Amino acid sequence: MHTLWSAWVQYLPDYWQGVRVTLELTGASLLVAIVLGFLLALARLSTLRVLDFMATAYVEIVRAIPVLIILFICYYSLAQAGLKLSGPVAAVVGLGGFYATLYGEIFRGAIMGVDRGQKEAAAALGMPEGLVMRKIVLPQAFFAILPPATNQLSNLIKDTSLVFTIAVADLMFQANAASANNFLPLDMLLLAGVIYFLFYLILSKLLARWELNVQRRRG
Amino acid sequence: MSNDVVVSAQGLTKRFGSQLVFEDVSLDVHKSEVVAIIGPSGAGKSTFIRCINHLHPFDGGTLELLGHTLHGGLKSPSRAVLRDIRTRVGMVFQTFNLFPHLTVMENIILAPLDVKKVPREKAVALARELLDLVGLEHKKDMYPKRLSGGEQQRVALCRALAMEPEVMLFDEPTSMLDPELVGEVLSAIQRLAKQGMTMILVTHEMTFAKEVADTVVIMADHRVAEMGPARQVLESPQTERAQQFLRRVLEPVETMEELSAAAGQGGED
Repeated sequence: MHTLWSAWVQYLPDYWQGVRVTLELTGASLLVAIVLGFLLALARLSTLRVLDFMATAYVEIVRAIPVLIILFICYYSLAQAGLKLSGPVAAVVGLGGFYATLYGEIFRGAIMGVDRGQKEAAAALGMPEGLVMRKIVLPQAFFAILPPATNQLSNLIKDTSLVFTIAVADLMFQANAASANNFLPLDMLLLAGVIYFLFYLILSKLLARWELNVQRRRG
Repeated sequence: MSNDVVVSAQGLTKRFGSQLVFEDVSLDVHKSEVVAIIGPSGAGKSTFIRCINHLHPFDGGTLELLGHTLHGGLKSPSRAVLRDIRTRVGMVFQTFNLFPHLTVMENIILAPLDVKKVPREKAVALARELLDLVGLEHKKDMYPKRLSGGEQQRVALCRALAMEPEVMLFDEPTSMLDPELVGEVLSAIQRLAKQGMTMILVTHEMTFAKEVADTVVIMADHRVAEMGPARQVLESPQTERAQQFLRRVLEPVETMEELSAAAGQGGED
């Protein structure tokens, strides 16, 4: 127990660095995933066939590829093709681009799930399509989006650990480096696991509380 | 189109794909006239009134309303025309369709604020007045889920009236309500009729149609079976199809055998 604790304490500053990188990566990737995912959802719901086709092709292809391969493509393959991305940028592009397919499908499902009568009632009041989307459809879709979106967020946090393979100094990278240093992979990876678990715990508690609030307010 | 005709449909036809919904429906609605459309389900009544505010495009015929002329077919009306029609034609739905994420007050003032750009104080004042008329002023800050069906439908009526429409469309406004809640909604509609609102309503309430409507249209088998002054059509229908429909609706079934026989024939959905 003593060695475990002292090993942990010794590397805490490194881990703290790693945690910051992991959270920054998660935040940036999530932003890309949400923005791109929303555009993908709108494109797939569009009456323009070309948009629908391109978005569908992107979603079906990208989500079928393992995340690790996508990260390698963004870092190594693009560099070979002449587009050299730094590790963190490649990580955000890869993770964001991959999770956009998952978020896009969540958004699309939630938007389609809003009762048709809602759109009709809004249209009958003379509201133009954009306004119907903003004031009627999206606010209602939001409540259907939140639980699956949070699930995917906890997957995203865990998947950021893959970026240590493309030279990004995230939490997993630090844990790996530390265990290579002190030959205590059990202790060092356990600490990383505990931290990832805490992320998950905090996230799910926040979501549960938030959902309860919403339910209370709307009776 | 004479001066006081507000809505005029000429030979309106609608299909969903190859499925005929209704064809050759012609109808003139005058200012302050109340038209009730009745008939078996599947006859195209609801789709017809949805064509009036263009929730559904129609395929053939001509629709003149509020100074606009719409033709059936591929070309849909411009956004400006649609907006003008929809802000001047109010609609109440079978399933109420209140916005569940907004309070009663927010439901009512949303379109006046965002579509008609009415100042907020004015919109709120009108909303209060309308709610007061249907006895729901005290529920203005509640969410729709907390209201009974009858209350929701009365709020939906206020929401439509808050746009100060010139024509009101009602799509089976009471058929989703518990029997004991039907009266409160019908009396609100009746009051509106007495104030001179032009309205077209699809309904299954025969007594209400007889009391409130000036004109009754019976739609059956995708076309108008008969139309004319309410009492005349309901009490002494001329066409066989209208007689058949009214016989089924008005005469109570005596025995279980007749009930199952009627159920067997009524397969028009």
